[in-house]
Amino acid sequence: MTRLVCPFCGARELGEFEFRKTLPEPGGTPFAQVYERIERPALSVEHWQHVEGCRGWLLVHRNPSTGDVLGTELLGGGPL
Amino acid sequence: MRRHGRVPARAVYARACDESPPNEPLTARRRCRVSGPDPRYSAWSLLRARIAGDGYWRPLWSGRVLADAYDVVVVGAGGHGLATAYHLARDHGVRRVAVLEKRLVGYGNVGRNTTIVRSNYLLPENHYFYEDSLRRWQSLSRDLNYNVMYSPRGVVDLALSDDDWPALARRGNAMRLAGIDAELLDRAGLERFVPELAPRRARRFPVLGGLLQRRGGTVRHDAVAWGYARAASAFGVDIIEDCEVTGVATAAGIASGVETTRGFVRAGRIVFATAGHSGLIGTMLGTPLPIETHLLQAMVTEPIKPLLHTVLVHVFPGHGEAYVCQSDRGGIVMGGHLDGFPSYTREGRWDRLEEVVQGAVDLLPQIAGLRILRQWAGTNDMTMDGSPIIDRLRYDNVFINAGWCYGGFKAIPASGSACATLVATGTAPDLIRAYRLSRFATGHLLDERGGGPFPVRL
Amino acid sequence: MNVPARRGSRLGATTVRFTFDGREYRGQAGDTAASALLANGVRLFGRSIKYRRPRGLFAAGPEEPCALLSVGAAGDVIPNVPAPQLALRDGLVCWSQNRWPTLALDLAALLQAGAGLLGAGFYYKTFMWPSWRSYEPMIRNLAGLGRAPRACELPPVSTEHLCCDVLVAGAGPAGLAAGLAAARAGARVVLCEREPVCGGELDFEGGTIGALAAADWVRTTLAELAARGARVLTDTAVVGGSGGLVIAHAEPGGVAGANAIYRIRPREFVIATGAVERPIAFADNDRPGVMLLGAAERFLARYGAHAGRELVLFANHDRAYAAAARLRAGGMRVRAIIDCRTEAEFGASGTAVSLRDQFRRDGTECLPGHALLAAEGGRGVRAAVIAPLAAADARRTIACDTILVSGGWTPLLHASLHEGGAPRYAPELGAFVAGAEPDWRRSAGAANGALELNNALADGWAAGARAARRAGASGDAGVAPAGRGDDAPRLVPFCRSPARRVDERRQFVDLQNDVTVADLRSALTEGFQDIEHVKRYTTLGVGTEQGRTSGVLGAAIVAELRGVTPAAVGTSRLRQPYQPVTMRSLAGDRVGAALRPARRTPLHDWHLAHGGVLEPMGLWLRPRYYRASGADAHAAAIAEALRVRTTGGILDGSTLGKIEVAGADAAAFLDRMYLTRASTIRTGRSRYMVNLREDGMVLDDGLVLRLAPERYLATTGSGHATHVLSHFEHYRDTEWSGRAITLTDVTEAWAVIVVAGPQSRAGLGQVLGAGWQQALARIAHMEFVAGDFAGAGLTVLRASFSGELAFELHCRPSLAVPLWQALVDVGLPPYGLEALDILRVEKGYLVGSELNGETTPMDLHLGLASLGNACVGHELLDRPAFHEPARRCLIGIRASDGCAKFLAGAQLVTADAQTRPCGYVTSSVYSPTLGEWIGLALVARRTAIEGTVLTACDPLRGGNTTVRLVPPVHVDPDGLRMRA
Repeated sequence: MTRLVCPFCGARELGEFEFRKTLPEPGGTPFAQVYERIERPALSVEHWQHVEGCRGWLLVHRNPSTGDVLGTELLGGGPL
Repeated sequence: MRRHGRVPARAVYARACDESPPNEPLTARRRCRVSGPDPRYSAWSLLRARIAGDGYWRPLWSGRVLADAYDVVVVGAGGHGLATAYHLARDHGVRRVAVLEKRLVGYGNVGRNTTIVRSNYLLPENHYFYEDSLRRWQSLSRDLNYNVMYSPRGVVDLALSDDDWPALARRGNAMRLAGIDAELLDRAGLERFVPELAPRRARRFPVLGGLLQRRGGTVRHDAVAWGYARAASAFGVDIIEDCEVTGVATAAGIASGVETTRGFVRAGRIVFATAGHSGLIGTMLGTPLPIETHLLQAMVTEPIKPLLHTVLVHVFPGHGEAYVCQSDRGGIVMGGHLDGFPSYTREGRWDRLEEVVQGAVDLLPQIAGLRILRQWAGTNDMTMDGSPIIDRLRYDNVFINAGWCYGGFKAIPASGSACATLVATGTAPDLIRAYRLSRFATGHLLDERGGGPFPVRL
Repeated sequence: MNVPARRGSRLGATTVRFTFDGREYRGQAGDTAASALLANGVRLFGRSIKYRRPRGLFAAGPEEPCALLSVGAAGDVIPNVPAPQLALRDGLVCWSQNRWPTLALDLAALLQAGAGLLGAGFYYKTFMWPSWRSYEPMIRNLAGLGRAPRACELPPVSTEHLCCDVLVAGAGPAGLAAGLAAARAGARVVLCEREPVCGGELDFEGGTIGALAAADWVRTTLAELAARGARVLTDTAVVGGSGGLVIAHAEPGGVAGANAIYRIRPREFVIATGAVERPIAFADNDRPGVMLLGAAERFLARYGAHAGRELVLFANHDRAYAAAARLRAGGMRVRAIIDCRTEAEFGASGTAVSLRDQFRRDGTECLPGHALLAAEGGRGVRAAVIAPLAAADARRTIACDTILVSGGWTPLLHASLHEGGAPRYAPELGAFVAGAEPDWRRSAGAANGALELNNALADGWAAGARAARRAGASGDAGVAPAGRGDDAPRLVPFCRSPARRVDERRQFVDLQNDVTVADLRSALTEGFQDIEHVKRYTTLGVGTEQGRTSGVLGAAIVAELRGVTPAAVGTSRLRQPYQPVTMRSLAGDRVGAALRPARRTPLHDWHLAHGGVLEPMGLWLRPRYYRASGADAHAAAIAEALRVRTTGGILDGSTLGKIEVAGADAAAFLDRMYLTRASTIRTGRSRYMVNLREDGMVLDDGLVLRLAPERYLATTGSGHATHVLSHFEHYRDTEWSGRAITLTDVTEAWAVIVVAGPQSRAGLGQVLGAGWQQALARIAHMEFVAGDFAGAGLTVLRASFSGELAFELHCRPSLAVPLWQALVDVGLPPYGLEALDILRVEKGYLVGSELNGETTPMDLHLGLASLGNACVGHELLDRPAFHEPARRCLIGIRASDGCAKFLAGAQLVTADAQTRPCGYVTSSVYSPTLGEWIGLALVARRTAIEGTVLTACDPLRGGNTTVRLVPPVHVDPDGLRMRA
């Protein structure tokens, strides 16, 4: 996987993005939000940032067993 | 003298090496006398095999049949699983132990690392543990009667600016107080110890010196898996390959066994030592773990005559990292940062390979003309403070040995011994008491790098 | 020696002189070291890695396992270059490897005698007593192929990015057909060919394509590709990639030439990398003079070099007869063709039958149903031992000087199986092909098992047309040209000749790593049944040939020994790079000073011109001290610090991170991001603020300025700006999504000059002039005034990180140098980071060594009272460990003995627990103000009581110092000086 599709900027090389974390189940305790991770063989729900592009944060769905990107969306409203 | 008999003779071994309490790890230890599996390996055995011809050697571990029930089922025939099984059988006399492996003995990280062993950790909880491991490495070949090629050639963490000295000194001083060897090398000292590095060469980040642990070095990675497998097998441990655990069955609030691709196996206790798949085990048991799975790459050049006589660790600004050593076969072996996002693919990203090579060439420009022959990747179970977890998981009789981050390979001997004690006695030995899962909730974090709950440093 | 000029398709007429092992030879332009040495009658090229057996030339490409040479003289050598890959140039110096003292006489060759002892994995079974370390140096010296280089002077490698519709790897018939089909359909095509010349094996196999002779078709196809805008890169191998990025490596001038890396982003990828001939194992099949059949053809056709004079061929397919005919036509004598197929398998029709009849008429022995059992001869083949397969005892010898072997072709699957491919066994090939591939990739031609010319063309054409269509090209590719070349090989898989057990030790499977059939058998006996285990245990296929000649052969022999099909054995995982790549090329231009970019402040040149000693701080370069200030770093820093305390000085603070936070919700947002409130800062004022990571640890600190009611400037530690900015942006886009917050990194938009010291106000007034006098007089601590100076914006903030009366000037970068120079001119000399460190430790201010990601705000006595503010991270601060007596907190320390020294990084212990530190020194400086060493430390709360005496243990740097704990603020605790 060397490209992610940033909804704002388009398909860009992976090197422009930084992964931050996989997400725990929503709505957990603050502790769970910070420390727990949900690992599944075929689905990883993640936060990435397009650091060398629009700097928007992305919600990325990927298959960690194949590297396929299943979907990318902007978390915020996108850059102003 | 050729011995026959289908099942290797089970020699009677001395019970248990004495565990080093973390407070006083450096007292003289009684060395385990292990007579080893059959046939015993030695220079003579090579000669005998030469004379005897075919049939002298026997399978190291294979040929066992999966039984219905075990006292302990260890999941994962990597370094940690095999070492745990070995110590369960050897030190605790647990008679019915199985190691169930999805694929092959030693197929995971134990055979995919850069072979470095060291105990130069900052935090006492870590350096006492890894020191115990390093001491076991020293005698492991003889303990297992299998040459794992422990090569104490030194590990040097390089200092690139005056700002690096306090952190290196803090770590080295903590080690020295614990009785672990550590030296600070200034530029002249580094030049003497690693002349091939030419510390005075002009570089983007000048090399000023480093923190040296002379007893750190390398170990032949595959040999560790095979040596433990052979020794465990000699103690009667059943090592079953191509047997994937798909679930845990419970009864009356405790685990009763494991579901596998070869059917149900009853188990008194279950140990998960599944490295990069530990996060999935947490999900399978409904207990999310503070673990993310990341790829870590390594690569090797063609073999050449001896060039580099130690292990160099080069961490530089701008996400740069390269650790470099030369294998006994002669290839320059390198590794660096994580790939940077969760993956089970074991196929590393190309730009990371380039970055590691950049770091290695920066240290040793003379190797620029060598060729990379192959690159590989392991799936690393990265915890949210960078230190491992050896603890019960959800059920009283289910244990997890996971979260080894970058340290899994070097930890194997200590981890196997301590984990076996925990499983056999129900009580964690002092050496791993800090590795409990609850530490994240209580705040007793073991964060060597101060990186916080993110395996990938920003 | 007057050798008549050779003629070959790749040769020029000019003579080229070179030396091999110190002896001078002549070759011709276009030669490789392999062809030239072969033509000079050299048979012995090196020694093997384990047994030191003499080795010759075996192959004609990167798959060469034996003839590896070291290139260059003295220490500047490049080792392990396959001789067939080494382009000859005048003055080339190359050496054989792995022999001592000479190639012909190698002392370590005595190891051969111990071959029976040194089987697979022998080193796991011995060398344990007393320790591995006692044997390791000897083993290491024996291992390794080439010499270790001591220097390497190579130019950096260029990188080029390419985008295309269809990338084709390999420009043999299938690759050219694929490229042509795609180009005709209108696709943008890039074609990479590993060899300097396109056409694959057409140059010696001949044949016709369409109406043209094969060579003419290659020429016209290349011309048409060029006319259609396709890019054809020769000497360029596809070597790896990930996730759709494909990396190609160009090595036109050989390893030391002007190399390039291409980063190619194709829509579609056709892999037409061909197939590699694989050998058949027989006893002593590693002797110099044993060579792959196709290699002999290449050397003849391309370089006019003869593999030998008297040939014996050993093969399992029809192609061998056509090849034999061409070799004979080239002037070599074919003594015998040993065909391991039975007469029935051989069949009664086809070209091979008529060729065989012709050979027989000419006196060549053609023996179906036979096997070549062994090669005789030491440093060169003298004879072949053969026997009927049905009666292996009926052996006899045929005198010859060369044995050419061919056991079929192995499709090159490195690219095909990478990231998502799966192998499938093809019995008709006796090898594996890609069974499944990701849909954007397709193997074609010989790489896909299509060995016959017509099939290869059709397969390539179809792959090219499909790729073009998928990539969106709408043109009509037309139909593939028909090809007529060598017949289908009609191969019967055969991997090794019958051998007694003892002879299996001489049946080499992997010539480079000295892996024999006996080794495979022993691995299986010891339980290493899986091919992956066999590979790791025996080192099968892990050499520079990357399993090209040994991989499938090894798998087939393992299958035979295990009594299963090769399909059940499978292949071990192939790894990238698909072909070995120099580290020089992988590093690209990120070498030397360009390893990482350097960030320079606007005052960088001034510092350099005025004796500033710069040091890297992250990517920044900042002055540590100025040479004019003192004899060495320590003296200079003390002088600079004292100057600030007595008169004044200026510091380049431009590396300070600066984030502008604007919008209607900026105040509320910052309240959430920081421990203390930003919303209560009045416009025109600033506040020292701390923010936390999600887990409650202090992330960073800095001043936050309220520029306007809805506009703040948050400053961060040097090098922290991007990190803190990302942290802010994460919250902006998640928790605060949809709110009016704009975040901008303005770090480099503002230069920062710190003016500190009792005379700072006066000096500043002098420089800024009358217009600023009033403001400077009125401005209170932590207030700022924005105005302009010399026609540009200037903000003057009164804040201090030195404990002195001090101002921060934020100005446009262009203004930095004149402003700085003016300040120097009024008697405010510069000070560097060392002096800053002294000043801030004297005042107990925090930097990175205290904000190290392990400290909570409680540990640092920061803003505990305001935790109710619900700052990010506060939720996790109530974890019990953070409130235990063992938790370490900040405190000051001083040496008990006024002149004793202690350093940051020393561990602190109490008298009753000498090995269990209760804390450590985070910062230490010599305070010129106090005349003694002072510092900051993190010490267990139960011990951190002022007046407590501890030992600072620093065994690494010279021992122990007795220290006592004091308040962290060492100088001017009431802050009278900075509020002056």
